[in-house]
Amino acid sequence: MKKSDKAKKEREILVALAGNPNSGKTSLFNSIVGTHLKVGNYPGVTIEKTEGALKYGGYKIIFVDLPGTYSLSPYSPEEVITRNFIVEEKPDVVLNVVDGTNLERNLYLTTQIMELGANMLIALNMYDEVLQQGTKIDLKQLQKVLGCHIVPTIATRKQGLDKLLEHIVKIYERKIVIAKNKLSYDPQEKDLTVLAESRYAFINGAVKETVEYLDKPIKTITDWIDTIFINRLLGIPIFLFIMWAIFQLTFKLGEYPMGWIESAIVFLSELVSGVLPEGWFASLLVDGIIAGVGGVISFLPNILLLFLGISFLEATGYMARAAFVVDKLMHKIGLHGKSFIPMLTGFGCSVPAFMACRTLKNPADRITTMLIIPFMSCGAKLPVHLLLIGAFFPEHISGNVLFGVYMFGILMALLSAFVLKKFLFKGESEPFVMELPPYRAPTIGYLLIQMWIKAQLYLKKAGTIILLVSIVLWGLTTFPSLPEDYPGEMSQIEYSLAGRAGKLIEPVIKPLGFDWKIGIALVSGVAAKEVVVSTLGTIYALDDADIEDEEATALKDRISSDPVFTLPTVLALLVFVLLYVPCLAATAVFHKEAGSWRYTALYFGYTCGVAWLAAFLVQRIGSLFF
Amino acid sequence: MLLTELGKKEKARIVRIKRQGRADIAVRLTDMGLVKGVKLELIRRAPLGDPLEIKTGNFLLLSLRREEAEIIEVEKL
Repeated sequence: MKKSDKAKKEREILVALAGNPNSGKTSLFNSIVGTHLKVGNYPGVTIEKTEGALKYGGYKIIFVDLPGTYSLSPYSPEEVITRNFIVEEKPDVVLNVVDGTNLERNLYLTTQIMELGANMLIALNMYDEVLQQGTKIDLKQLQKVLGCHIVPTIATRKQGLDKLLEHIVKIYERKIVIAKNKLSYDPQEKDLTVLAESRYAFINGAVKETVEYLDKPIKTITDWIDTIFINRLLGIPIFLFIMWAIFQLTFKLGEYPMGWIESAIVFLSELVSGVLPEGWFASLLVDGIIAGVGGVISFLPNILLLFLGISFLEATGYMARAAFVVDKLMHKIGLHGKSFIPMLTGFGCSVPAFMACRTLKNPADRITTMLIIPFMSCGAKLPVHLLLIGAFFPEHISGNVLFGVYMFGILMALLSAFVLKKFLFKGESEPFVMELPPYRAPTIGYLLIQMWIKAQLYLKKAGTIILLVSIVLWGLTTFPSLPEDYPGEMSQIEYSLAGRAGKLIEPVIKPLGFDWKIGIALVSGVAAKEVVVSTLGTIYALDDADIEDEEATALKDRISSDPVFTLPTVLALLVFVLLYVPCLAATAVFHKEAGSWRYTALYFGYTCGVAWLAAFLVQRIGSLFF
Repeated sequence: MLLTELGKKEKARIVRIKRQGRADIAVRLTDMGLVKGVKLELIRRAPLGDPLEIKTGNFLLLSLRREEAEIIEVEKL
């Protein structure tokens, strides 16, 4: 929101939340605005921008959750975004969320916000932990030293929120005046080392004056857990077990709601076919839209569970430990332990994963990581895996097969990184310095909101791109329509434009055991991976109509009765979908991030080439055994 | 001595962050609060031997690689 727009809507207060990663900033944001939030992106980048608003004291207070940063030096895009937002949007209040248990380090960002002359208010978060640790903070004195007000908060228990809102309004109404001349050094200092040291000198002075720590260091719960979790012997087995458990959870627990959604879709298509007269409109609705979008929605539970798992790891603090445990391995293949985090994000979606690579300063590290992210099976590929595994493998091993698919992707990613780093992109890695946040029990509310944000994003995708693609595909599979007096055996789908395209690429994919139907699905899967499922849904729904199968059966049963799907072919298809080029949205983001057609061409050629080769080998080797 | 030369559970104070070589590492260390005068303790090495985990201040746990720890000069306490 620009200042000029704001003059018109006078009773609005713009508040920006800034703070270190792990300071509880997002938790606080969620506690304040609840589910009234809007998820989007910062212009030009795909770093998530969350906004929420609430009414308080006759004002509409708009909160913007800025990315978590340790500093405002232009070291990473998060830091640039945070600085630019404060400087350009001139929020009425900058709410600096400070982790009270890590005062010195957190205040480093605070001094930089002070340097910008913002109207700052400090939320001294995790105040319960501060008290537990026996630390005494003289808030009044600290307020004096920093020149702004400080409100102790416990975001997870929603404590201190009213007081925060009260202060925000008072700052806006100029009832609280912020002293902006408290810094003891010259913020214009050109030598960055001297500047950093002056900041810390100022902080140390402030802390010495106002904070009293307990004399004897206590062994925290985090220390105890870490002696087991990142222990020399157990660290890696525990890491593997946790990853395995998350995928088991995704599959096993997701099965039930998925079944309900599937039955609802079958019910809905029967209902619509019953009510509407037969014709192209009913076909568009049932075979195009309901089959396409419905197929995607039925995988929502699995995707939510996967994101729940990832959010859980992040919120508990284990995610950073995972990077700590595997860094040596990442380093060996020439990558940075931090590459592990985009790679892990890649399990959710390649789009944020590509963006997360921006935190890798080194261009060689960055482009290599970006090139291997497609091999980390994203959430949109999960429906395809689930469909194929569910249709062709007995239930008791389905979880293991899924785990195997993910592991194969990881293996290909590691191999690729090694090869790319060795031959194409040589160069140093970037610094690894990383915080291992204390273990914390995430609140259910926080996890649910994170899940809800992901659900929104996923359904938005299902509602827009995938709806559009479903309609286009329905058109491609319906037109031109097969003349009734067509001589010889020919089904509508074969005669249609899509069938012709699928047949056109058939020679290329024939060695993999794929037929033209799979060809159509794979081609449309370039638009979005879920579309592989919806396309198969559309194709098989139409095909069944040809053989006058009146009953709407689940897609699983339809494809498992098609003889083209032998076991080697199913495995080859699993591998191909796992490895080949991600969706259009991700490809667009890749291109923007990589910044050169050369890289985009490499990315497209590399992923498709590796996918073809791996699928070919799987088909050949598989045929020897089955 | 260098941070990497510390044994497990040994405590030290940062004497100097060497500015030679890679500037980005020094900036990063500074952002994370590793500056001259800060006390730290080597907690452990990762299961595969690298990176290291250190504790600074009272409760802050950081992990850094051997090559980064090598630019941190410390004196044992």
